[in-house]
Amino acid sequence: METNVSNYQNQTYHFKGLWDLPSICGLKIVKKQNETVVIATDLFDDNPGTSITEWNTKLIKEICDNNNINYYEVIYIEHTPNKKTKLSFNQESFYQVEFDIVDDKFDNPKWKELTKDQVDKLITI
Amino acid sequence: MKFQLIFPKWRKLEGQTTFNLPPHGAAVFAATIPEHIEVEFIDENLEEMRFDDDVDFVGISMLLTTQIKRGWAIADEYRKRGKKVIFGGISTMLHAEETMLHADSVFLGEAEGHMEQVFADFKNGVLKKVYNHMNDLPPIEIVGPARREIYKRDLYYHKGVQMLDLFHASRGCKFSCYPCAVSYLGGRRFRPRPIDKSIEELEMIENNRLFIVDNSLAQDTQWEKDLFREMIPLKKKWCSHTIEDKPEVLDLAAQAGAWYVYQAVFDTSDYIRRRVKQYHDYGIGVEGTILLGLDNQTEDDIKRLIDFLLEIDLDLAEFTILAPFPHTKAHNDLIKQDRIFNKNWDDYNAGQVVYQPKHMSPERLQELYQYAWDAFYKDETQEEKMFKLLKKVVSREIDDGTFRKRRKDLSKTSFGRNVNYKIA
Repeated sequence: METNVSNYQNQTYHFKGLWDLPSICGLKIVKKQNETVVIATDLFDDNPGTSITEWNTKLIKEICDNNNINYYEVIYIEHTPNKKTKLSFNQESFYQVEFDIVDDKFDNPKWKELTKDQVDKLITI
Repeated sequence: MKFQLIFPKWRKLEGQTTFNLPPHGAAVFAATIPEHIEVEFIDENLEEMRFDDDVDFVGISMLLTTQIKRGWAIADEYRKRGKKVIFGGISTMLHAEETMLHADSVFLGEAEGHMEQVFADFKNGVLKKVYNHMNDLPPIEIVGPARREIYKRDLYYHKGVQMLDLFHASRGCKFSCYPCAVSYLGGRRFRPRPIDKSIEELEMIENNRLFIVDNSLAQDTQWEKDLFREMIPLKKKWCSHTIEDKPEVLDLAAQAGAWYVYQAVFDTSDYIRRRVKQYHDYGIGVEGTILLGLDNQTEDDIKRLIDFLLEIDLDLAEFTILAPFPHTKAHNDLIKQDRIFNKNWDDYNAGQVVYQPKHMSPERLQELYQYAWDAFYKDETQEEKMFKLLKKVVSREIDDGTFRKRRKDLSKTSFGRNVNYKIA
């Protein structure tokens, strides 16, 4: 079943990526009692700059700082929408990314694939 | 001031015919260097390095990921001798942070309009560690003719036959294909050069056979048609990546000297079969480019694909294994899935498996890659198929009076080295 992309992004987020390239991604922030879920969505051809995956250590810190999110209470998800081709590697995916946090910096990303149901549960308040 | 510009060598793929074409990026870059600078070019694929030459400043032009470690080693040698080294080019941009460890300076972006400053900074002893022009692409109108006079021309002959010259008519790409980093390198906006600038450059090239290296010419139909129409009187013969398959485009391309085009073959569909036939109907040859190891390919899929290639009568086929180059979706996906097991850039040559394929072992994919080459060229070798294509172009050249005989003085050399004839 095709995803309604707006379920996972409610704003376009502008950031400076690698080598200061102007870059964009979709963004949805769901604040819950003890945690905040942040979903960054790759916008592929509409993004003139750096991908969310390449820039995730910087991007998550920037989003947390700008939105007053505790680094230790964030669940960060990278969302890759379906590119609407018949190629399997262009299908939709969700990955939760876990980081080491050292000296207020995010480092050493590790990805874990999530199902859409798992993501839906996470963003349900 | 003497500037030595180096194009590092790389390990060629085993079992494939090697042709050394004059490097395009280095000549395009050389055209941006102020005229008063003396430029000496070394293509290390064809010449020995000369680290002790009396030069003031060294540039390393890097195209391929598989070339970068050699580029770094060259820089280290020059820097031991106290020379300043600047890096530029496609793979410098792909591997900028690592390259900075071996450089006095790296240049990121397109060089037009910026080299006066770089050379002034060098002269004044204030060379910057990074010249970041990734977000500052020059107006396409100022892209001038490549400075091809830097080549040592006699090196680019095989048994007296001159290799193709490379040329570009545009930059940037509106497509973001899975394994490709061009949109990162040249921007996601297609930037065609003005037709008159392209034609002016084409007229200057003293070679009737060209490779138009643009990522894809199939991005703006009107521009594509205008370009081909203006090329007709030049009587050049050329190969290129994809062109559109609209009849009016193919007709003009054929008149403009289209010799053969590269066509990605990613499945066994009627679409591909029809497209190859369309090219052939207009007298344009087709070299299939077949990427192996994608996540949608099982072993059976790959074998079926190779059978299909033989059925559709491709003129040539080039098989590659997916190489997850940095700044591509392929790289991001495989990193996320922790499937990349080899990070030695020397092995990112598109002929070696560096990641765990989805449907088979890395060893099996490597075997299937070899099987693909062997099966496609079983009845007719790559050289024989190339010769057939060459005969077609020669016959067209004879017809339109542009044929040049092979150079007798170079008939016993291949890329600057003596040819050893085998005696049966």
